[in-house]
Amino acid sequence: MLKQIEGSHAVAHVVAQCRPNVISAYPITPQTHIVEGLADIVGAGQLDAEFINVESEFSAASVVLGASAAGARAYTATSSQGLLLMSEVIYCIAGMRLPIVMTCANRAISAPLSIWNDHQDSMAVRDAGWIQLHAEDNQEASDLHIQAFKIAEQTFLPVMVCMDGFILTHAYEPVDLPEQKEVDDFLPTFKPRHIVDPRWPRGIGLFADPRFYMETRYILHRALEKSEETIKEVSSEFAKAFGRESGGFIKTYKLEEADVVVVSMGSVVGTIKELIDQLEEEGKKVGLLQICSYRPFPRKEVYRALKDKMNIVVLEKCISLGRGGILASDVRWSFPRAEKKDRDISSFVAGLGGRNISIDDLRYMVEKVEKEPVEFEFLGLRTELIAEKEM
Amino acid sequence: MEKLPLGLALDLRKVVPYETGSWRTLLPVNIMQTPPCNHGCPAGNDIRGFLRTLAEKKDYEEAWHVLTRTNPLPAICGRVCPHPCEDGCNRRDFDSPVAINSAERAVGDYGLEENLEHKKLIAARKEKVAVVGSGPAGLSCAFHLAKRGFQVKIFEAYGEPGGMMRYGIPSYRLPNYILRQELDNIMKLGIELECNIKVGVNIPMDQLIQHYDAVFMGIGAQRGLLIDVPGQDAGNVFSGVEFLREVNSGKYVDVGKDVVVIGGGNTAMDCARVAKRLGANVSVVYRRTRVEMPAITAEIDEAMEERIMFRYHTNPVKIISDDDKVVGILCVQMELKEPDASGRARPVPIAGSESVIPADMVILATGQAVDYDGIEVHTRDNKWISANEDLMTSIEGVFAGGDAVLGLETVSAAIGQGTRAASAIEDYVDGSVESRLASPPVIYSKDLNTYYYQKTRRFQKEALPIHMRLKHFKELYPALDPEAIIDEAERCFSCGLCFNCGNCFMYCPDNAVKISEKAGLYEFDLDFCKGCGLCAKECPCRYIQMTLEK
Amino acid sequence: MREQSKYLEGVDKKDLFASGHRACGGCGQALAARLVADAAGENTIACVATGCLEVFSGPYPDPSWRIPFLHSLFENAAAVASGVDAAYKALKKGPVNIIAQGGDGSTADIGLQSISGMFERGHNVLYVCYDNEAYMNTGVQRSSFTPYGAWTSTTPTGNTTRKKNMPMLAADHGIPYVATATVDDFRDLQLKIRKALTIVGPKYIHILAPCPLGWGHHGELTVEICRLAKDTGLFPVYEIVDGKVTNVKKIPAKVAVEEYLKPQGRFKHLFKKGVPAKEVDEIQEIANQNIERFNL
Repeated sequence: MLKQIEGSHAVAHVVAQCRPNVISAYPITPQTHIVEGLADIVGAGQLDAEFINVESEFSAASVVLGASAAGARAYTATSSQGLLLMSEVIYCIAGMRLPIVMTCANRAISAPLSIWNDHQDSMAVRDAGWIQLHAEDNQEASDLHIQAFKIAEQTFLPVMVCMDGFILTHAYEPVDLPEQKEVDDFLPTFKPRHIVDPRWPRGIGLFADPRFYMETRYILHRALEKSEETIKEVSSEFAKAFGRESGGFIKTYKLEEADVVVVSMGSVVGTIKELIDQLEEEGKKVGLLQICSYRPFPRKEVYRALKDKMNIVVLEKCISLGRGGILASDVRWSFPRAEKKDRDISSFVAGLGGRNISIDDLRYMVEKVEKEPVEFEFLGLRTELIAEKEM
Repeated sequence: MEKLPLGLALDLRKVVPYETGSWRTLLPVNIMQTPPCNHGCPAGNDIRGFLRTLAEKKDYEEAWHVLTRTNPLPAICGRVCPHPCEDGCNRRDFDSPVAINSAERAVGDYGLEENLEHKKLIAARKEKVAVVGSGPAGLSCAFHLAKRGFQVKIFEAYGEPGGMMRYGIPSYRLPNYILRQELDNIMKLGIELECNIKVGVNIPMDQLIQHYDAVFMGIGAQRGLLIDVPGQDAGNVFSGVEFLREVNSGKYVDVGKDVVVIGGGNTAMDCARVAKRLGANVSVVYRRTRVEMPAITAEIDEAMEERIMFRYHTNPVKIISDDDKVVGILCVQMELKEPDASGRARPVPIAGSESVIPADMVILATGQAVDYDGIEVHTRDNKWISANEDLMTSIEGVFAGGDAVLGLETVSAAIGQGTRAASAIEDYVDGSVESRLASPPVIYSKDLNTYYYQKTRRFQKEALPIHMRLKHFKELYPALDPEAIIDEAERCFSCGLCFNCGNCFMYCPDNAVKISEKAGLYEFDLDFCKGCGLCAKECPCRYIQMTLEK
Repeated sequence: MREQSKYLEGVDKKDLFASGHRACGGCGQALAARLVADAAGENTIACVATGCLEVFSGPYPDPSWRIPFLHSLFENAAAVASGVDAAYKALKKGPVNIIAQGGDGSTADIGLQSISGMFERGHNVLYVCYDNEAYMNTGVQRSSFTPYGAWTSTTPTGNTTRKKNMPMLAADHGIPYVATATVDDFRDLQLKIRKALTIVGPKYIHILAPCPLGWGHHGELTVEICRLAKDTGLFPVYEIVDGKVTNVKKIPAKVAVEEYLKPQGRFKHLFKKGVPAKEVDEIQEIANQNIERFNL
């Protein structure tokens, strides 16, 4: 059923259709509409779940941790500082192999305070052991949540669905919302394997001395790598069941013939596609590689897609301060060392703290890398504001 | 190697506990210690043992068997013993000592009522032992020997057995039927008894030595020792033992209107109270004060209750008689000066303080001595029989014990000696050397953790009211309530022996104290015990102690 | 099997917190944890905060818990327990006893917020605080439960503030049951655990659990120290039922605080000069105020 709906409400709707048992969240812009929507659904009796209003994101994450460890399908959502406050628990959830699903309404990080979108928040916990899936639009954001529960519960890995704050969460778009039966058919009931239950007493969250710790991290790392199959499988199952492509590892747009390939993720790919179409009319062959699964990182897919491309530009909404583009690093790492030497991989950071990425900005970027590769550049920087002496 | 489970979530039913016992430097051990009551009991009774049996099992029969392992006369001791056990009782420092003496009487009485019988330890053996005297020392010796299979024969000088228990102790303190029953019970072990045979007079000592493998002399101190007071040859002047023997033999003794008893010991108290019951006004004349009187405090108290007049600081000078009949006694007032050799204040007469106390009878309860008629044996100071550590006298194979060796002592002390002598005789006959185990250290109040004990009231036995006491010789203390005695037994701290309080079991932070399937109530799981000492510290009775780990 | 001691009637000893933990000898917290687990029984889930307890009782592969045990972080035991409670409600499972447990640091300091949240939301969770008055696991650093005058490795000249009053703070959340207890009186402690578990809603039990290492006393004194803490008035034992202080344990015979302080190395500096330092008067004043306030 196609419906003109706010992104947050669409996500709330499908999350409710996934029948989580426990939802816990703490309000933070721009995540609020998602949990408000869920609260309404639970309040209206349309979803039989415990909705726990907590006193912090830290407790929200802890509540879903406890609930999941007790066998519940558990869900939370947050943004920015909230995610950072959760980060300690985020790591625990992954280490304990609890299949929790979270929405990260991506937002910039303080200071200075900014409520607007970029990817610095989810990037900050990229190494925590969670699967991170990035949505392009609200349709995909909705669809990814249905897939996320299935992936999580098959792999016993937590899944974070990242959707751009405001740009998606607060945007009204037509979204094809599934019927409850379709979701029920797609998503089996959660069958936990390790829970706290007096009938089968288990110790969960034991500490591991140096004899055991490394192996637990190795297992977690390998589990994330191996989740690739599950992510792809679930994505293709979803396509079969719902009749549309969503999620998966990577997506491409006019890549085959492209001389220049833009690599990016999240909602900005919409603008990039528009630019590609414009440039095509102008006779330029530009393509897109969209990263859907940021963790696990689709190294092989990226390599396969780009191995014949000599001019690549990575556009991302995040930065490793003192280092540069994070996604760019991941892309560069995707090529075997021997093949890397005469390939140009440029790195652009854009849209931090909600700065608009216009089609002209993108055109500037493509035209610049057509001339020569760019090691690293802030796109759309207002240099007139910058005093040399403060750097 | 077990594979790591998903999320390191471990099935707790499969855990093999990590053993922490190697951390230990100190080791808790259960050590049975000597309680002060046992330590102080001259008869060597396991007082804690019978009290705990009463308290924990409420089993009088078992308690009787515990008690009669050492003491064949519990009903008697429960009546006449001055109970030094109670003096030592660690409860004294807490609230008041356990009424052990009453508990012993209750257990003894139960044994008599239920006709409980002593058990022989081993089958009969052929060796014969002669026991001279059937007082507590002789009976105890005979009892222990008979239990060990010896052929025992007792020779008794008087018409009935029991010694001082029969002829010395008044029946309001020890009814004759109690003595009779306990005696009969001992005799059931197959002991032969012959009365009216005075060894050394009716039968020569040598004959016994020849015919028996060993001889035990528990001949007591039957002879009254008179102090030198002029006029003591008059009629109606008795020694204490003599007076008591006459009355206890059932003879009619005319005490007249006024009786004066000289002396401050237990015999003096007995004489005074017997005379009172025979209808006389009785005065006790004593040189010093009540504090110095050697008699048992309770006996003095009871005598006072019975309105016996005590004249302290008073010394007899001369017995005045008229026509060989006592009419009075001239006394002089004394004052106390610096202590004499006995440690008691030395009484010195005050000049010109003489006065006459009217008397129809004078009883000189001023001492007793051994009757050595026909017996030649080494003595100490010409008074008491000299015996070595094993209670053997100067004559090979002849042992002695009780008052004849100790001087004037208690029934319990005599029993204890009889017990010791029996062991010594067994060793002598067997030609073995007694291997006496050193008894474990005595537990005192300071060693206990009294936090866990509740303050409670001590059992008080009820004496007959005064007006009912003096007309007859009925027992002063009627039967005791067995339930109340159980409650009293529960007051026992069980010093030095586990009483299953469970503290160690509950307090061990390592759950290393387990309920024992074998000996003792709790045992230590050394795989896990870290040796912290909490169990020992919180053991109320100090049964648990920490030792160095080997 | 021998007869159960009559002195232990109504006391639970099931060893659901079993031998083999790595606590120091005489550890009050280990003792308390077992008393709590045994009183709660098999149908219990323990949500434990990081700290000494978790470290000595929860190593892979040989933890001491025999009831389900869930640990994640230092400051979130109450929130995790809230989640377990929510899951049991949502899944319509149970009833089950959910006990969140932590030391004084995770209760009074870093975890206070999540405890407050759990109380305020009304979860059916019992929170048990094992109070050993400092961060023992990390090497005896001061917590907000560290008493006045006590040495810790971060208050080398003695703590200058008074102990946070957590039971009152808990009670002021309006929760139905709050109690304090000590490990020496295991009967009382277990009664309170059982009583708390019959009450629906959030409960708080504060247990004084001496730490021989951090307090500087011999392990054998753990029980004795508790008794002194009570008998001096420094640790009042009471319940708060529906906001009203009740069942206050009377002091049988009042003991001067010096008796409590002297066996403990952490107060040693107060007696260095032969005469008690002025802090001792202050500590006595704290005891006196408790005695007056609770009518001990």
